[in-house]
Amino acid sequence: MKKFAYEFFLLGLICVVLAIAAFLDPLFLSSDVQIELSSEIWELGLLTLGMTLIIITAGIDLSVGSAMGLCSVSLGLCMHANLPTGVCVLACLATGLAAGALNGSLVAFIKVHPLLVTLATYGMYRGFAEGLQSATTNAPVDASEGIKALVTGNFPLIQILFTALTAWTAILLGRTATGRGLYAIGHNEEAARFSGIPIAKLKFWIYTYTGLLAGLAAISYSARRSATAEAGLVLELDVIAAVVIGGTSIYGGRGRIAGTLLGVLLIHETRQFVDWYWQRSELTLIVIGTLLILAVLGHRFLFAQDPDTH
Amino acid sequence: MSRTSKPLITIENISKSYGGVQALSKVCLNILPGEVHGLCGENGAGKSTLIKCLAGVVSPETGTITVDGKPLSHGDIHATEAAGIAVIHQESTAFLDLDLVENLFVGREIKKYGWLNRRAMERQALAVMHRLDVTLDLHTPLREFSIAQRQMVEMARACLRDCRLLIMDEPTASLSARETKTLLGLVKQLRESGVSVLYVSHRLEEIAELCDRVTVFRDGRLVATTPIDQLDRNQLIGQMVGREINALTRREEHAGQTDEVRASITGLYSRGSFSDISFEVRAGEILGIGGLVGAGRSEVARAIFGADRYDQGEIKIDGASLKKGSIQAAIEAGIAMVPEDRQHQGLILPMSVSENLSLTILTEITRHRLIHHGHETAQVQHLMRRLAVKAANAKMEAASLSGGNQQKVVLGKWLAIKPKFLILDEPTRGVDVAAKAEIHRLIRELTEAGMATLIMTSDLPELLTLSDRIQVMCEGRIAGQLDGATATEEQVMRLAFPRSEAQLT
Ligand SMILES: Nc1ncnc2c1ncn2[C@@H]1O[C@H](COP(=O)(O)OP(=O)(O)OP(=O)(O)O)[C@@H](O)[C@H]1O
Ligand SMILES: [Mg+2]
Repeated sequence: MKKFAYEFFLLGLICVVLAIAAFLDPLFLSSDVQIELSSEIWELGLLTLGMTLIIITAGIDLSVGSAMGLCSVSLGLCMHANLPTGVCVLACLATGLAAGALNGSLVAFIKVHPLLVTLATYGMYRGFAEGLQSATTNAPVDASEGIKALVTGNFPLIQILFTALTAWTAILLGRTATGRGLYAIGHNEEAARFSGIPIAKLKFWIYTYTGLLAGLAAISYSARRSATAEAGLVLELDVIAAVVIGGTSIYGGRGRIAGTLLGVLLIHETRQFVDWYWQRSELTLIVIGTLLILAVLGHRFLFAQDPDTH
Repeated sequence: MSRTSKPLITIENISKSYGGVQALSKVCLNILPGEVHGLCGENGAGKSTLIKCLAGVVSPETGTITVDGKPLSHGDIHATEAAGIAVIHQESTAFLDLDLVENLFVGREIKKYGWLNRRAMERQALAVMHRLDVTLDLHTPLREFSIAQRQMVEMARACLRDCRLLIMDEPTASLSARETKTLLGLVKQLRESGVSVLYVSHRLEEIAELCDRVTVFRDGRLVATTPIDQLDRNQLIGQMVGREINALTRREEHAGQTDEVRASITGLYSRGSFSDISFEVRAGEILGIGGLVGAGRSEVARAIFGADRYDQGEIKIDGASLKKGSIQAAIEAGIAMVPEDRQHQGLILPMSVSENLSLTILTEITRHRLIHHGHETAQVQHLMRRLAVKAANAKMEAASLSGGNQQKVVLGKWLAIKPKFLILDEPTRGVDVAAKAEIHRLIRELTEAGMATLIMTSDLPELLTLSDRIQVMCEGRIAGQLDGATATEEQVMRLAFPRSEAQLT
């Protein structure tokens, strides 16, 4: 039980948020509203899966939101050209893969600090997305029927993909050699290297995986709204906050997918309620910031280190 | 020194437990002014814990510590410093990214008009280095120093200020004969000037040479405090382990040695570290490499293991040439290396003992792509038993093990891969006498079964007992070769000293 103390704390925090929401407006908890508001959680959730792996290795990816924008634009171009749905999807995913692989190569092989790499690509990817859009369609492209059917049709494709990827990532992290390697890198990269852990390969892989997830998230976003360079704007705030609130240590070495999922739920419910009830986005930012600090304090309180052990 | 003088430090009924482990129970001890007080005991006996209590790093649960009759408040580093107690901890507490001068003066910088007076600090640093008879660059970040060199920095830091009690937790564990001699000389000098020293070591010769009284710990309890002249080596070991131990003796005939060349190194050269390194290690043979601190032994070890790059030369394992600078390739070729720096390179301290031990055999314990917990536990238990790792359980953080037990875990994780060629860089640093004998036996046993072993050690007796052949390095080159069966300490030392210095002495 002690192992999951923090997860229970998060669950409690979610209940508190929901209770406050129910007190202010019971309608928020009705299934209709919840389902209607739930669409965005899948995109947030997908991105946090990759981000958890990255932060566990003491890395960071600031470029996820921008990569998502770039993917969305490339999807838009394909749809604009009336290409078959399959080609559109592949192009979008390939863009994400390429964006992630660029991050990954710079971090893993050229050994530039991930904060620098992804700060640079955070600007670059968004810039490319906007440039590409204004040079071609110059406006958001409405999703083609094919893409719409894929995402918002009767078959819950994104939801199923998300569930499968979550399970896969959780198993990877908790039960495989790769997962052990990621934790080892996060705790002590030098010792991991001396133990024969393929550091560069693993790092390259997690950034690339995160890029691919950005592609997936872009498909979902574009189908619900439209394919635009605006996709994923400031989403990195929510993604990183959800992962860190979920108990993943920003210093690396600690974190679990279960915690991340709760973090996603907490961020999502809070954001949706504030948006829905007050309809003021600046308030949302403040509330999410407050939550982040609360969670960090809760973490410190629950895992109060014995002052003797450092 | 008179036996009747009032104690400088009185420790009464100190107890400390960690979870279920009683690290210290009701320890009473006093330290007289101007005495060197030895502290011995097996790995995990509680020596470092007592020192941490004295240093104010850890608060004991019960008991009192008095300095000159005045009680010392628990867990207060500043009170300790104010009382004139200086501590050199077992694991270096240095800042690896700061240079030597910054490390020496961290927290007590010399200031002039509110600005750092770097010139004055450098002058004092040079003076203290001169006193310790070491030459180290003042402006190199400590990361680039070897463990032994960092140890000397800790030493310098403690000597920088006048103190009444100097506590040293295994200060010589990674030092070679020359540095050890300087250090022992320094301790004697301090004693002359009336400073008390609390000295922890597993090297019993040092204890015998240096100490006035010895206190032995076993399982957190104090066994006895005895004047050194009433105790011989065997009695001391008896107090520590409660039984006799059979130290390994030199190997007379070379059982198991073959003509099959396992590793051949030709013309290895790395700018600024070493050059002209060529040797062969046969299956079934232990090749020892001796030399002073800074002779380049660890650098050679790291180059062979692929942890560092080298500029020229070739490494062949079983006749096949090895890819440069790739640890994975080295491991695949059957090479294992126990690095000298267990805290930064050997272990992942925040991970459990079990996770550390299985880190090198992850593929072996994977079934259907998942780590198989049954296999993992079985392997880990086997390794812990084989190396006699003392830990409450395998889920414990490696950081909470005693120094010697951490070292055993590093050895264990590399023996786990059943290496064809084992490189050991200070393999028994901080390991107690009994466990050391066991580890020696294990290394020899595995070598006789066909492994090739390369051992770099500053511990001369260890070098002489284990090695079939000895090469001595000096200033990055191989200075000469000796036969393990007949070599003497003097021969090794003569080769180890640079020519110029040898003529002076
Ligand atoms: N932070 C900690 N958490 C849990 N157990 C600890 C911690 N620190 C020390 N211990 C335990 O306390 C016991 C005494 O450890 P200590 O480091 O004092 O041994 P030691 O005598 O210095 O051994 P060595 O010769 O190996 O350095 C050991 O069993 C160790 O595992
Ligand atoms: Mg110790």
